Amino acid sequence: MARDLAIDLGTANTLVYMKGRGIVLNEPSVIALNRQTGEVLATGREAWQMIGRTPGYIVAVRPLRGGAITDFEITERMIRLLLQRVGVSRFTRPKVVICVPSAITEVERRAVTDAARRAGAADANLIEQPMAAAIGADLPIDEPVGNMVIDIGGGTSETAVISLGGIVSLEAVRVGSFDIDAAIQNHVRREHGIAIGERTAEEIKVAIGSADPTQDENQAEVRGRDLMTGLPKTVLLTPEEVRFAIEDVISSIVASVVRCLSKAPPELSQDFLVRGMYLVGGGGLLRGLAERIERETEVPVRMSNVPLEAVVLGAGHVIEHYEALKGMFMGARR
Amino acid sequence: MLPYVIGAVVVVMIVVVLARVIRPRQDPVDSFRRQIDALSPEARRPTIDQVRDAAEDSGETGDDES
Repeated sequence: MARDLAIDLGTANTLVYMKGRGIVLNEPSVIALNRQTGEVLATGREAWQMIGRTPGYIVAVRPLRGGAITDFEITERMIRLLLQRVGVSRFTRPKVVICVPSAITEVERRAVTDAARRAGAADANLIEQPMAAAIGADLPIDEPVGNMVIDIGGGTSETAVISLGGIVSLEAVRVGSFDIDAAIQNHVRREHGIAIGERTAEEIKVAIGSADPTQDENQAEVRGRDLMTGLPKTVLLTPEEVRFAIEDVISSIVASVVRCLSKAPPELSQDFLVRGMYLVGGGGLLRGLAERIERETEVPVRMSNVPLEAVVLGAGHVIEHYEALKGMFMGARR
Repeated sequence: MLPYVIGAVVVVMIVVVLARVIRPRQDPVDSFRRQIDALSPEARRPTIDQVRDAAEDSGETGDDES
């Protein structure tokens, strides 16, 4: 008998929750393929380690960008392998709930559900990431009060106001922590004349990246390839410089939070002043981001206890109470 | 023999169709109530505790390894 699954199919990481078991898989959404034969060589963490370090015949790719499937065939193969790794076979076809960005198009929705069904799911339903995040972050969304959740993922940032089990207002932008990495890459290339890979850019973000000035402002040594000479070169980066580089991305995220606040009904707006907003998602871990949002909105911002797992936990709860909560699936409320 | 089989199939099909037609529609109030109950903190507790326990277990294992 198949155990039903909840999948947080993120641009950066994929998490799988198995009914009755909890989180059984948490890996980067990366797949490595042989260019010539099309064979899958690695997935998850193993494939992530190959990014930017592969010989010509191997390509390590993220099949999702901005929360959307950019390569349907590769995504289907990745989902199939993920399901196989958690014990799904052709004889055990589970029900699957998949978390997706709320702003995805009808075509993208169908691409995700088709990919899951073809990969072995008996039935595939979608749930909006902010809704799943609010459930997983343990917010009192069963009450008639305003709950606000900001989910900053790899490719999307979504802010939602939720009350009585439904989304009241929503604002989503296709900007996330990968755009922060890309902004750092571009800055280092433009200002220092060296090329760095996306993994190095991510390491810089984690080491010295911030959205607001912090107490420990250490510099970081960055190694890359000099664009003029082609030789390896080391430069020093300051936190101020990184803040300047990522300012456009941060401003875009903060602006979307402000837009969501302004769309919320006044009765719920007053709740935010008392209860605050909850930050989830890997992008929310950027230093100073909570302080920056708090400063610009004048609403307290709190970090979820489980920022990386909140979305899959919420979807996991839905799979545990499938019959009672199936009205929350995308398309079910029309 | 064949007429009996066909007759049985027809009877089964009629029963299935009737069962679908006369199945009571789900009461929207009851459905909403069940959804809200399933979203309550008490209902969510087992899911969240299950993952928290697993995280704590793996944390303890990590400490042992280091």
